[in-house]
Amino acid sequence: MNETTTSPYRQIYVVFIALVVLTILEFIVAAYLPSVVFLTLIALAKAGLIVHFFMHIYRLWNNEESH
Amino acid sequence: MSATMVEGDHEGHGAHLEIPYSQQLRNNRLGLWLFCFSELFLFGGFLMARFYLWRDPATGAIVRPELDQLLGLGTTSVLLVSSLFMALGERAIEQGNRKRFLNSLLVTAALGIAFLVGVVGLEWNAELSPTDGAFGAVFFGMTGLHALHVLSGVILILIVWWNGRQGKFSPEQHWGVEATAIYWHYVDVVWVFFYPALYLIGQAVHV
Repeated sequence: MNETTTSPYRQIYVVFIALVVLTILEFIVAAYLPSVVFLTLIALAKAGLIVHFFMHIYRLWNNEESH
Repeated sequence: MSATMVEGDHEGHGAHLEIPYSQQLRNNRLGLWLFCFSELFLFGGFLMARFYLWRDPATGAIVRPELDQLLGLGTTSVLLVSSLFMALGERAIEQGNRKRFLNSLLVTAALGIAFLVGVVGLEWNAELSPTDGAFGAVFFGMTGLHALHVLSGVILILIVWWNGRQGKFSPEQHWGVEATAIYWHYVDVVWVFFYPALYLIGQAVHV
């Protein structure tokens, strides 16, 4: 019962933690190893996570019947 | 499942064409993503301007104005947490948890307003001004355009919250919620690129 009610939100929390870690990494990289390439890669990774998991871009080519 | 009825006969014979809700949803999603894609050119243009104009005239190295780093990290964190609550709100309506859905939307809107206070209320009143040449023009152009999108997102969220209170969304049909969530996360994605471009990349120079 508990598993079915919490699991829908679990993925969102995991993605959020990944975004927080990447943001902290971004800040540290900028302070100690300022590299445009690294910072761009981190930004691309963050954007990819948001676009896939939060914006559900895959729904564009998946035929979901609900809502 | 509901469907939109469309007049299907030019000669007025009363024939109707039903558009299934799933088809409407596919069209809506495609339209919204095309809108997001078109906006990329707007924000991308500003990013190009930033990397073209913010350079040391002598060496050509990428530079940036000295900005409050803690404020930049703070506003970025606020927007990130707002995205979390938006995602939680969308998932809550999918699960039929109306209370969590409404509360998550309110928190998202509050965090959006907090972000605006951080950027417009605090950062805009710091050292840099719009008349500070390329630094001022690009900084205020980028943050102003983004803040306008955040403001419109907050308004959208509050409209969705109000409609949610009226019971207009269900786990089966909540395109309004999904569309607002996509828009809000899109605004977050834009800031994902704006934040390092404005605050992190390049050597800080005093304006």
